[in-house]
Amino acid sequence: MDVSNILASHAAKYQSVTVEKETPLEVDPGLLMVTDLNPIEAETYNENLEEHLQSLARDGVQSLMTSLFSLPTKPSPDGPLAILPPPVYQLPRAKPLPKPKPLTKWEQFAKAKGIQHKVRDKKVWDEEKQDWVNRWGRNGKNREVEEQWIHEVPHNADVDYDPRKVARDERKERIVKNKKQQEQNIARQTSTRERKQEIEKTLATTRMSTASMGKFDKILEGEKKIRGVKRKFNPNEEPVTNEMKASLDLLNKMESDKKKMRKDPRGEEGSLNVRKAVKFASKGKGGVALGRELSSGKGRGGGKGGRGGKR
Amino acid sequence: MRPLTEEESKAVFTKLANYVGKNLVHLIDRQDEPYCFRLHKDRVFYVSESSMRLGISIARPNLVSLGTCFGKFSKSGKFKLHITALDYVAQYAKYKIWIKPNGEMPFLYGNHVVKAHLGRITEDTPEHQGVVVFSMNDIPLGFGVTARSTVDTRKLDPTAIIVFHQADVGEYLRDEDTLF
Repeated sequence: MDVSNILASHAAKYQSVTVEKETPLEVDPGLLMVTDLNPIEAETYNENLEEHLQSLARDGVQSLMTSLFSLPTKPSPDGPLAILPPPVYQLPRAKPLPKPKPLTKWEQFAKAKGIQHKVRDKKVWDEEKQDWVNRWGRNGKNREVEEQWIHEVPHNADVDYDPRKVARDERKERIVKNKKQQEQNIARQTSTRERKQEIEKTLATTRMSTASMGKFDKILEGEKKIRGVKRKFNPNEEPVTNEMKASLDLLNKMESDKKKMRKDPRGEEGSLNVRKAVKFASKGKGGVALGRELSSGKGRGGGKGGRGGKR
Repeated sequence: MRPLTEEESKAVFTKLANYVGKNLVHLIDRQDEPYCFRLHKDRVFYVSESSMRLGISIARPNLVSLGTCFGKFSKSGKFKLHITALDYVAQYAKYKIWIKPNGEMPFLYGNHVVKAHLGRITEDTPEHQGVVVFSMNDIPLGFGVTARSTVDTRKLDPTAIIVFHQADVGEYLRDEDTLF
């Protein structure tokens, strides 16, 4: 039986499953992505754009499907599922790279001298106890001297010489010194603009913090009058239609709020306590400080966490 | 003179909606001429766009009044409806009450409406609902708040109060100097 004409008619009805192009299409099944690197044919493009795009899309999808069906599968209750390989194409990063953290004074020094950074272990070996003990903290090694039961006293020591206290004071001094260095590092890292803003904010707060709210204070030369947040209203001259629309929107909102209230009678009361809100927004520093902050540009959105000290 | 902020509009609308309900839309979106609400010296004025535009050119201290005064904001931000708003409120009122001729004078002197003076009342008026008070020949006299719902009034004795007085046209004489 000759089926060649049936096959031929079938093939004519359905386009072939193979896609042939000058440059073969690049398929990345991991991302379900096909890239067509062939130049656009101007003739077909100008003739009928829709058809051209459709044929392009068909070729792409066809090659993607072909590659999907050639992948290994695993059975599932919904039928076989193809196991996608890891993606090949490197997607570009959405966000810019994070800025490197500014170096601390010690890190700068170490870099200049070529000192390699070593992370010190938290635990150290104690020969006497034959065990690992904390370098600092609970039962720390740094308190070993002040906690030992017998102390050596130097020859020329005073009568009231307390070796335990001396060791403890030394340790406490080291802590204070480290804390100071930490603060200096943070101060060096924050920009002058931010610091100036912070100072201005504090100044505005302190100027308002007398019994007379700063009314009878001596004004220094070059000191400006403090101004709070100015209220802002819509202009009178605006077309009334805008206002009408806003009013109708507000009415609709009130209506829907009422419906919500019915469901939950403890719902929001509606009126905003401005004094409380200002107090909250300025973290208790008052409207003047808030206004100063707003007028002198945007603040540094949080993220004030300092770097740890030398490790 | 300035437009109301959203919060102020909300206060005004809730107060007005207490009397006119959904008819408030007709006050905002008028067919004949665009009208708007304006705040001047704590008072809310309902004014047509054309007169508002004329009023813009008058300095703030010189401007006494414009359009219809609807009421005033108290220092604590609450809105109080004045009797001057009666024209509009009566026009669109949802719930009405008519009082007998012998009850008119007591009401106009600022007293509450007692049951003995009740002529007619809109059916299904709920409790504590803003109502407009009319005389028997349909002249608006003022407005108030119902003390009882329509159903409950039936059982009351004649001296019981059914509408708490809020404003009446007698105020035009009594509070002449502070009203506008």
